[in-house]
Amino acid sequence: MIYKVSYVVVGKPHMGTIVNLDAPPRVGDQVQLGDELCEVAEVVDLIPPSEDFAYLHVTCRLVQEAA
Amino acid sequence: MSITELLQRCELFARLTPEQIERIAALGQGVVYNAGEVVIREGEPSDEMYVIRSGMVEVLVSRGVIPDVPGPPQLTPLVSLGQGQFFGEMALVDRGARSATVRCVRDGTVLYVIPRQAFWALCDSDHHIGYIVMRNIASDLSFKLRHRNIQVKLAGGEP
Repeated sequence: MIYKVSYVVVGKPHMGTIVNLDAPPRVGDQVQLGDELCEVAEVVDLIPPSEDFAYLHVTCRLVQEAA
Repeated sequence: MSITELLQRCELFARLTPEQIERIAALGQGVVYNAGEVVIREGEPSDEMYVIRSGMVEVLVSRGVIPDVPGPPQLTPLVSLGQGQFFGEMALVDRGARSATVRCVRDGTVLYVIPRQAFWALCDSDHHIGYIVMRNIASDLSFKLRHRNIQVKLAGGEP
């Protein structure tokens, strides 16, 4: 399964990111979005999976701002 | 990762057979970009679509451009895209000018570039490929729109 993931960041203007992953993100994971380190706060299905693709939406909160 | 493997992992080509993907892989070529390089510029004519083989790009739109005022437009970032994502697909559908600027974020970002004309010729010769790809483009545009809707909600309605 390929996980197409839409990331958004709460609490700060952030453009968000879309990327394909081999494994689904989980709550508590830390992820680097551009220059910023974020923590996954919520993972939901954005739309139902289809064939080899799952479509996830991830809400993150900022752990460390870009320098 | 080979071009064929890249395209097999790209949603745009989901549900195509390995043979069909090989035919698409033969159409394009890989190009390397460095951080800060502009791949496509808003308002310019469009002739290619891009699949991100490695690295990251950011999609930006100009805001508040005032005609006859010199200087570059102010660019607002919309989203960043990583491996397996694609952009420039709207050109395949509507042949319009680029709707956004796309700039590389990381050095050594590798993009696989597919020329529109060659791709359309392939779709014309094999309607199954054309049907599947157009359905996948619609699905991806829907995904990006949903992502954007959430962004707008988080921003309190400010696009």
